[in-house]
Amino acid sequence: MARVHLTPTLESVVQFEKVGVRLPVRQRRRGGGRRDRLRRMAGEVTREEIWNLRDASFDVAEGEAVAIVGHPESGREALLRLAAGTLIPDEGVVRRRVPVVPVIGVGRALGRNYTVRQNIYLVGGLLGMTPEMVVERLPKIVKDSGLEGMVDKYLGDVPGRARGPLAWTIAMATEGRAYAISEAMVVGDPTYQERCWKIIEAKRADGVSFLVTSERPAHLLRFCERALLLDNDTILADTTVEDALERLPLLKRHKHDVGLAQEELADEDDDELL
Amino acid sequence: MLVQRDLQKQYTKFRLGYLWTIIEPLGMSMVLWFVFTMLLGPRKLGLQPYLLFLSIAILPWWWFTKGIAQSAQVFQKNKNQLRISTLPTELWILRVLLVTMMEFILSLPVIGVAMLITRTYPGPLIILYPVGVVVQFLLMYGLALTISSCAVVVPDLARIVRIGMRAMFYLTPVLYAMSNIPERIRPFAALNPVVAPIGLYRIGFWPQEHESATHYVISFTLCAIVLVVGILVFRRLEPRILKEA
Repeated sequence: MARVHLTPTLESVVQFEKVGVRLPVRQRRRGGGRRDRLRRMAGEVTREEIWNLRDASFDVAEGEAVAIVGHPESGREALLRLAAGTLIPDEGVVRRRVPVVPVIGVGRALGRNYTVRQNIYLVGGLLGMTPEMVVERLPKIVKDSGLEGMVDKYLGDVPGRARGPLAWTIAMATEGRAYAISEAMVVGDPTYQERCWKIIEAKRADGVSFLVTSERPAHLLRFCERALLLDNDTILADTTVEDALERLPLLKRHKHDVGLAQEELADEDDDELL
Repeated sequence: MLVQRDLQKQYTKFRLGYLWTIIEPLGMSMVLWFVFTMLLGPRKLGLQPYLLFLSIAILPWWWFTKGIAQSAQVFQKNKNQLRISTLPTELWILRVLLVTMMEFILSLPVIGVAMLITRTYPGPLIILYPVGVVVQFLLMYGLALTISSCAVVVPDLARIVRIGMRAMFYLTPVLYAMSNIPERIRPFAALNPVVAPIGLYRIGFWPQEHESATHYVISFTLCAIVLVVGILVFRRLEPRILKEA
């Protein structure tokens, strides 16, 4: 039943073997539901899927920090999600020795209508913490995200800038042995960012593995020693971060707007009965 | 485990409005009872006392519609959470079903009130009531798996389901009894998986009126089929669900 299977005998921490995934193509301009349906009837909008990642094979060793370098639609986020198991590949296999904690938009999973405490339980649970672990680490999470005294406040009433640190601290509190991080490697104001760096660098030194993408080359340069360069759904090179970043501007941007895009659904009232 | 925690969380919302969980079905039972006994008095519908007869079936039916309607949208609504969830995907459906079931259980005192008002008390076969709950839960699980995964591929499904549920309400012996249906088409009426649990709920009060064994068999088989289909469909579509998240 569990979605994420582990292979304890695996030598590397994460292993991709000829992994490919297709994602549905999203149209850039989306009207309301009815217009969307009309367009689909008119054949303007298709529900086709295109390859977002193909034939990806690589290994991540213990304590390694791998940067995934590529343009936003190059399949880098899909790769991270595949690594964490929140996406299932269409071909190939992903093996992991330890659970990979997905730090991919954790902040979006926080709910404004829940209290800080409830959010910690919810997100912590999603990321694989047991209730006991949450209870044990709750005080520390609250302290580290600077939310002392606001545990039972609704998140909507908590200053907005506290949400990033909260999500980040929860993710780090899972004490996973491998992380797949998109964007938010460090969060908050500069002083807080320094603290974040200390924490993840300590984790690195402790042998925790990282897969990272970021729009900020400086972060990747500082943290990673290896890079996978992605171009239009294939891994172009497995090289150093410097090299990958140098070659990135030479690559063409993806023409399709593929999956994983943000789009909120209007909450519909479902209490209608009979 | 996590479901429990989720439940608790939902709960805090409910506790404020606990009374509503009772008032709503009670009010609805009253209205329907009034309509069908007072206004349409001479035509006897269902079994007597009608108020009890109605509330016994309408509470689980409430649970049924709520659970199914909500699970049709569960993956769209929880997109952001689903994207980082390392837990089994089925959990989201289970959560919806358990939360709606808690609501149902909390509203059970309504039946107690109806029993007091009508001074009718159940016989020993009431022990089949929990069995009915279990059967209904399994049926809903299968149905919810199918509907929620298909709704990811066909987003319009959530609306269709709502209309479908309304139609089902009148096709299912909630307002009436199986014995109200003309003999000829009764077997077809039993081609409805919900018939089995509802029969089980009522058997404690009207043991002599219970549905015939063939009806149970037909309905139970359907429940089982729905469950199996649900699990299969869900397995097929699970990668797709995650992609859309």
